[in-house]
Amino acid sequence: MGGVWNEIVGLWSWASPIWLVIAAVLVGYWAFFGGRMERRSWWLAGSLAGLVVAYVSPVAELADGVMFTAHMIQHLVLLLLVPLCFLLSLPRERMEEWLARPRVEPWGRLLSFSPVGWALGLSVMWVWHVPTLCSASLQSSWLGVFQDVTFVVAGLFFWWPVFSPMKAQRLAPASAALYLFTACVGCTLLGIYLTFTPISVCPVFARPAAGTGLLEAVRLGGFSARMDQRLGGLLMWVPPCVLYAGAIVAVCRRWYAGEEDEVVESENFRAGESVK
Amino acid sequence: MNGGTTERIESGKGVDAPREEAAVPPTSKILSWVTTVDHKRVGIMYILTAVFFLVVGGCEALLIRIQLAVPENDFISPAFFNQMFTMHGTTMVFLVGMPVLIGFANYFVPLQIGAKDVAFPRLNAMSFWMLPFGGFLLYYSFMTSTAPDAGWFSYAPLSTKPYSSLGGIDYWILALLVLGIGSVAGAINMAVTVLSMRAPGMSLQRVPLFTWMAFITALLTILALPALNSALAMLFIDRWLDAAFFEPARGGSALLWQHFFWIFGHPEVYILVLPAFGMISEVIPVFSRKPIYGYSFVAGSTVVIFLLSYGVWAHHMFAVGLGMFADIFFAIGTLLIALPTGVKVFNWTATMWGGSIRLTVSMLFAIAFLVEFVLGGLTGVMFAAVPIDWQLTDTYFVVGHFHYVLIGGTVFGLFAATFYWFPKMTGRMLSEGLGKLQFVLWVLGFNLTFMLHHFLGLMGMPRRVYTYSDEPGWALLNGLSSLGAVFMALGTLVFVWNLWVSKRKGKVAGDNPWGGFTLEWATTSPPPVENFTSLPEIKSRRPVWDRDHPDLADWKSAKTPEDGGWRPFKGKVAMGAFVASEAVFFILLLVSFVVFNSGDRGGLDGPSPLDVPRTALFTVILLGSSVTFWFAERALRGGDQKGFLRWLLITVVMGLVFLGGQAIEYAGLIRSGVTINSNLFASTFFTVTGFHGFHVFAGIVALMILYFLGRKGELKQKRANIFSAAGIYWHFVDVVWIFVFAIIYLRVLQ
Repeated sequence: MGGVWNEIVGLWSWASPIWLVIAAVLVGYWAFFGGRMERRSWWLAGSLAGLVVAYVSPVAELADGVMFTAHMIQHLVLLLLVPLCFLLSLPRERMEEWLARPRVEPWGRLLSFSPVGWALGLSVMWVWHVPTLCSASLQSSWLGVFQDVTFVVAGLFFWWPVFSPMKAQRLAPASAALYLFTACVGCTLLGIYLTFTPISVCPVFARPAAGTGLLEAVRLGGFSARMDQRLGGLLMWVPPCVLYAGAIVAVCRRWYAGEEDEVVESENFRAGESVK
Repeated sequence: MNGGTTERIESGKGVDAPREEAAVPPTSKILSWVTTVDHKRVGIMYILTAVFFLVVGGCEALLIRIQLAVPENDFISPAFFNQMFTMHGTTMVFLVGMPVLIGFANYFVPLQIGAKDVAFPRLNAMSFWMLPFGGFLLYYSFMTSTAPDAGWFSYAPLSTKPYSSLGGIDYWILALLVLGIGSVAGAINMAVTVLSMRAPGMSLQRVPLFTWMAFITALLTILALPALNSALAMLFIDRWLDAAFFEPARGGSALLWQHFFWIFGHPEVYILVLPAFGMISEVIPVFSRKPIYGYSFVAGSTVVIFLLSYGVWAHHMFAVGLGMFADIFFAIGTLLIALPTGVKVFNWTATMWGGSIRLTVSMLFAIAFLVEFVLGGLTGVMFAAVPIDWQLTDTYFVVGHFHYVLIGGTVFGLFAATFYWFPKMTGRMLSEGLGKLQFVLWVLGFNLTFMLHHFLGLMGMPRRVYTYSDEPGWALLNGLSSLGAVFMALGTLVFVWNLWVSKRKGKVAGDNPWGGFTLEWATTSPPPVENFTSLPEIKSRRPVWDRDHPDLADWKSAKTPEDGGWRPFKGKVAMGAFVASEAVFFILLLVSFVVFNSGDRGGLDGPSPLDVPRTALFTVILLGSSVTFWFAERALRGGDQKGFLRWLLITVVMGLVFLGGQAIEYAGLIRSGVTINSNLFASTFFTVTGFHGFHVFAGIVALMILYFLGRKGELKQKRANIFSAAGIYWHFVDVVWIFVFAIIYLRVLQ
């Protein structure tokens, strides 16, 4: 029991440099938007927690050439969760004011141009699973950092047209639903491909460098490289689509917004009447 | 494509009301129905055709139940039994379920949104006539060697030539393709109608829930049917051109058929049940004298169902061994989709809560829907648990489960809608007395027949087997189950009799006999050809309620989003929807290419016989034609007719050159002995590029028609929108080629 415990504790990368990034984000956020705790602060916490999951938790250690599945979790957290939570944490009024500035405004418009966001969001998913690129990103740490940065940036571009803090830059609800639905189709196809293809899309995980005791333990548990890729493919396939479905619900809510409470009130009113 | 507003009015002459028709001689009366493009008449023809096939499919069910009434029965032969359950399933899904729902949508969606007709009336008539044509093809199989007998999902390899060498499966394939074309065309029409034909004030957030459900159903149809079509095309190529997509013995994959079929098949379940959700969302509020509880939840959660329904198909395949992880994910997805469906039941119940309920026959069926559908839904959730599925799949438990959904859900919803809307369609009320008799017979018979199926399934009785040995209890349960079928048959006779008598002698209904809320009740019963003489002001979800109760008007107490006036151009929306449908078709064909040509699946062994550089050149030409098309469009919009014609002609020529390139490729391959039946690489190559080439050819024909219209001066600047709509198709064909070239020629993903 103790051995397993040590193993698990040892998997945490407490010394990860990501803490510097987190600190920088906190300081920057405090400087720009003030340090008052509000509801949106929880979204910021969620975003930073995503970074901790990706770089400090065992996911980070396992993603580094041991398990394709962990690698995929890291991808999804960086691409989908971290940018989404960060966007939602931005205070709307301050951002609207800031984005209206002449020097910032063109950048905001670029971010809100939905074909760019859609294409970036999908292409990072697809391109980084080209076998050579996938393996290379694990063998060169600089390429790995570059890959992670592209995930977060592409994620910001992807979510911006749906959840931009500036109302005017958001897609109309029907278009937003279409945007998310087609994105779901895109990652579904990739997920199906990863799940069922006999080809190893990230050969590093199929033929890892010898000597990692952790990997041997995982493999001895019956978790073959093929199963690993299957699970990774399913993670690519299902959770993003569930997230997009949730986003579509949010968009629908916005679309019908501001009337549900009143309807309930009037219904109570009428129900009361009919009883009389 | 121009929607035909003029011919709609012309064709409507002299078909105003039933009383006037009596003066018209019978032959021209029939002719006026055959040639009609009026959405109401098309709707009625859909419904009547469906009722006809309901009787046919019902008779098939009765034969099945007679055969199973006692153990070791030899009333019908095993082979005929196979044909019966196959034809019963296929008939009920494709010739009854879908058409009757499309029929009601056809009749009532334009009325509910205050439109004069559907977006494309002539396309609507064509969609309808595909139905009798498809039904005829399917049933013609009886005149040949054998009717289809591989089950309604025709699993491979049973459906392939070595195992089903006779013609039944071929008629099944052709009939389903024909019906599929009709369904997709009808669905595109419906989606465009809802988006583009709404009366002023009818924002999308205010449309009646039946209209909303019909809209989502249309979207589901547009994106689900092509999956079936691509599978059918591949099966047909297997059977007639000797390919082996679905023949494991020659390297094909029987499992691929299951995947493709259920990618269509699961959304199909929602295609069959969502309109019924819409129907009871109309019936329950009216007979509870309350607005629906949580409109936006009911509407919004349907969007979620739409999305999730494409992600759960593999729960039909737990037994084939997809692997533990896939099973877990699909189980979770299946449990998730139960949420938006299940909570709706609370919405309907909460609508009834505190209302002043009138227990008309319509409302009785709606309440029965709630109860029976919950039962069917719960057994559905049971199947999401993989081990339960393993235990019960292919037993009578499954049969019980989906009949609870499709009869307890869809059919009861349909009965509720029929009693609710019959007065609007005919001007006369259905008899409530006969209706209650029918209700009792159906509820008794239905529960007797199908509740017992659950027990039989738990005891291990397999479905689709023509007889059974006399295990303890099986004879009794089967006998009672067959008895229940007799009750349902009697109930149906009462129903048809009720329709027949009430149409003639029923109580005159008046405009709004139930005190309905939505726009169909604002016109006469039956409505005039142009639907409305005047429309009430639309300021809420219940315009007729507002008109009749100005003091309690909804818009005074509850705000709904105002109509921003968004009505997209019909041609473009229709073309966009069509292209989306085609995209699904091509995606699945390309998936099959990747499946068979990755690793050692029996695809290509050795170097590719394709000439990549030469095809790259022709690719550039095809993509260039998109650019020249764009130039033509710009010239047309700018009023430069000559430039428009020149660029358009260049586009056509470039398209032809591309086809020439393909012809060279084909000729070379065939000369070197590579044909569609050589191996799976050749099969997939010829199938994908062949369908693409056919699409290019169709595009060229369309462009030439536009060219000659332009030459004659009928396509000018102010009709440039039509040209842009054609452009969506042309650009789509080019985009598809980019993927074809990347995957087949450059061998990406393999």
